[in-house]
Amino acid sequence: MTPGQLLLFAVGGLSNAAYLFIVAAGLSLVFGALRVINMAHGSIYMIAAFVTVVIANQLGAGLGFWGGLLVAVAVTGAIGGIIEVLVLRRVYGREHLVQLLGTYAVSLVIAGGVRIVFGANYRTVVSPIPGHIDVGGYSYASYSLFMIAAAIVIAVGVWAMLYRTNLGRNIRAAVADPDLLNATGVDVTRLYTTVFVIGAGLAGLGGAIVAPSQAISSSIDTDVLVLAFAISVIGGLGSIVGSGIGALIVGMVISFGLVIPATNPYALAFVFIIMTAVLIVRPRGLFGRPES
Amino acid sequence: MTRLLPRSRGDRLRWGLVLVLFLFVAVIPPLAGLNENLNPDASARFQIFLGTSALVLALWAISYNLMLGYTGMVSFAHAAYYGVGAYTVALLFKRYNVPVLVGLAAAPFVAAAVGLITGLVAQRAVRLYFSLLTLAISQLLFSLVYQSYDITGGDNGAAITLPDQLTDYTTLYYFTAAIVAVCLLLMFVLVRSPLGAALLSIRENRQRAAAIGINVKVYELAIYIIASLFAGVAGGLFIFYQQQAYPEMLYWTANAQPVVVSLLGGTTTFLGPAIGAFIYVVLDNAISKQFPYQFDIILGAIVLGVVLAVPGGVSDLPTVFARMRERFHRAEEAEAPVESAGEAIRMFDVRKALASEAIQAEEVHSGKTLLSIEHLSKHFGGLRAVEDVSLEVKQGDRHAIIGPNGAGKSTLFNLLTGQLKPTSGKVVFDGRDITGKPPHVIARTGIGRAFQITTIFPKLTVRQNLQYAMLAHGGYSVRPFGIANRMFRAEAQELAEAVGLGAWADLPAGQLSHGDQRAIEIAISLALGSKLVLLDEPTAGMSAYETDKAMELVRRLATERHLTLLFCEHDMSVVFSTARTVTVMHQGRVLTAGTPEQIRHNPDVQKVYLGELEQEELGA
Repeated sequence: MTPGQLLLFAVGGLSNAAYLFIVAAGLSLVFGALRVINMAHGSIYMIAAFVTVVIANQLGAGLGFWGGLLVAVAVTGAIGGIIEVLVLRRVYGREHLVQLLGTYAVSLVIAGGVRIVFGANYRTVVSPIPGHIDVGGYSYASYSLFMIAAAIVIAVGVWAMLYRTNLGRNIRAAVADPDLLNATGVDVTRLYTTVFVIGAGLAGLGGAIVAPSQAISSSIDTDVLVLAFAISVIGGLGSIVGSGIGALIVGMVISFGLVIPATNPYALAFVFIIMTAVLIVRPRGLFGRPES
Repeated sequence: MTRLLPRSRGDRLRWGLVLVLFLFVAVIPPLAGLNENLNPDASARFQIFLGTSALVLALWAISYNLMLGYTGMVSFAHAAYYGVGAYTVALLFKRYNVPVLVGLAAAPFVAAAVGLITGLVAQRAVRLYFSLLTLAISQLLFSLVYQSYDITGGDNGAAITLPDQLTDYTTLYYFTAAIVAVCLLLMFVLVRSPLGAALLSIRENRQRAAAIGINVKVYELAIYIIASLFAGVAGGLFIFYQQQAYPEMLYWTANAQPVVVSLLGGTTTFLGPAIGAFIYVVLDNAISKQFPYQFDIILGAIVLGVVLAVPGGVSDLPTVFARMRERFHRAEEAEAPVESAGEAIRMFDVRKALASEAIQAEEVHSGKTLLSIEHLSKHFGGLRAVEDVSLEVKQGDRHAIIGPNGAGKSTLFNLLTGQLKPTSGKVVFDGRDITGKPPHVIARTGIGRAFQITTIFPKLTVRQNLQYAMLAHGGYSVRPFGIANRMFRAEAQELAEAVGLGAWADLPAGQLSHGDQRAIEIAISLALGSKLVLLDEPTAGMSAYETDKAMELVRRLATERHLTLLFCEHDMSVVFSTARTVTVMHQGRVLTAGTPEQIRHNPDVQKVYLGELEQEELGA
């Protein structure tokens, strides 16, 4: 492999990592604060992708896409709020089995709903940032570079939210000890709703951003959910840094796995082998903390 | 009073239901034929085909429920073993010309072998992480099958041809029904056996299960493999009526089927998922053909309804049923007074307790050291929770450990019973080095423990709590046959009566008052027939009266049955009235040890407690 190819695949891996990080960060944030694995996370991502594609195709690729992105994030945030109030509130503190099955049920409902509203066909949207940049004889899609930049911005944003705002301080306190936080007068119920809305919004943002780079179908929910799980487990559930590292590993494995002929068919399998290996060595993931 | 064979209304109802289900399965083909005669649009072949698929689904779902309902494990890999079963038949047939019937016989063993290898990996994690690991395993197996085009045919799937004798739909139906029936019988025997009781114990409370001597991980692995085995049979049967295996069978979302079917029919009754399977197939056929997407929504709504409408979750269903039954019975036997279950401890019958055979009498040579702790330390980072503790507990002694909060008493107990591993030092019990051994091993060597935070099986009855402890301690838990609820029944009842809970032996333990649950906690540690009983604040949260009664029992047991006691306690009156030897701990170290009289007059001890008092007064 020449250095040029290496760079090409590395950038491919980074752009995979970019949208996967955004999605996984939402999953991990929700788990950290609420101790709930949201099986409907991929479904929320899928809704956002469809909303973005439909709006962008109606209004035209440029402004339409950005408008679609904003609408998609708003819609998914709202759906997150509804799910939290109607379903999650009733399963906090229950066995994880109940939580898994409850959010899983939500994912079934959304999957059915999406197929009714948007149909089962593949949909695509033209990239809002067309063109490519040529470096060393290879060309890089501008949109891929945009995705990487967006992920970095979001990573910084999430960090700032967690460590520079009151909300973030409360979220971190909720991760550490929800009962104590409640005793200090913070409205934990509202905090949980907020966290879940943010988590759902991140899934939505991931879905909207990914739309121009992939064909969107009604099966992308489980595809992304499985990868987001793998990332969260590798990095450690509840850790945003872990999501970043996990996304990088998974993104790179997929990118390089797909181009090496011997490993091509099994690129995804490698992700799960790594996930399994990490869990065997570190049962809580690379950056995970033991459950209290 | 105690009936050997409870023949309640519920029992008759249950067996009646089994009979109805059996007859229903038997008459499907003739009914289908009849239906076709009356209504030419209804193809008998198709209806029998649906019946066959319901049978296979029932087997698959019940095998899933061995984990979900009986052990409390959520696996996302069960569909993979189902798929492995189907592919075993298909690939043996396609590539090696092995007759499909031989393939069907091989399918469960191949599935179980894959279950063993992958289960060993999944076992590395518990609960949530276990579920996520099974998801990874499932996707791994799926992509192996999907991508290995040369071997498996990839997304084209793999097909078989049935032998002539089985091409007739009705014959195939009864063939399937017979195999499913045999498998269900085997699984039914298993869930009622002591092994099934061990699984229920794990579902209810992992910590308590380990503390009564159950090797939780091994049992979870065992049931995982057994479930894979039966999933393999189901997969093998699937390909008989579909004549095709395809990779999507292994995809993790395929697990939705057994989950939904189990929930639909009920996870707490053995045949619940079978009923769920028939409902599912009918619903699927009626709705999904016309409205495939609405079907997903309906399934989601059903799962959501079951999960949210049953407070306490899926495994809480028995409590809900018990409550409903209780209400039903109360309405029926209105004249029978229902006493409050609270404060039963006042009925502690000491003589009965002492006569109880569950509590072993040991030949005791007083003065012999039963437990010896040598230079034991436990550090958490910089915190020295237990530092260089050495003490000896003589056989037949009643040894109290006292000390202010944070002295390291509970940590020391956790080191002794294996919840924590010591940083350094040694623990020798009854001549055996038990340093750092896991809880279930230590429990089996003869150390029973009552935890400070009540650790019982809340959804099992009081009697089952004690029965299952006796089963585990007696080494019966490995038995996959016999009826657990009939073993040690009299002994458990006797012990329950001894601690004043005889009248509530059939109530779920979790429904009793706090004091009564403490009594169960103590009774479990006694049920183990242990040589050494560790009581971690046995009377925490009890009223003064309850405390007196409980300690009177404990004291007299210790004297007359030569039980050795090691306990820690905050209530000094309990300590000085019960203990023969007292060890005082302070900041993780042994401050001093001696008779209660010596301790009472030791100025250092007074200083420790006084020091704490002063701090408290200062508001620290």
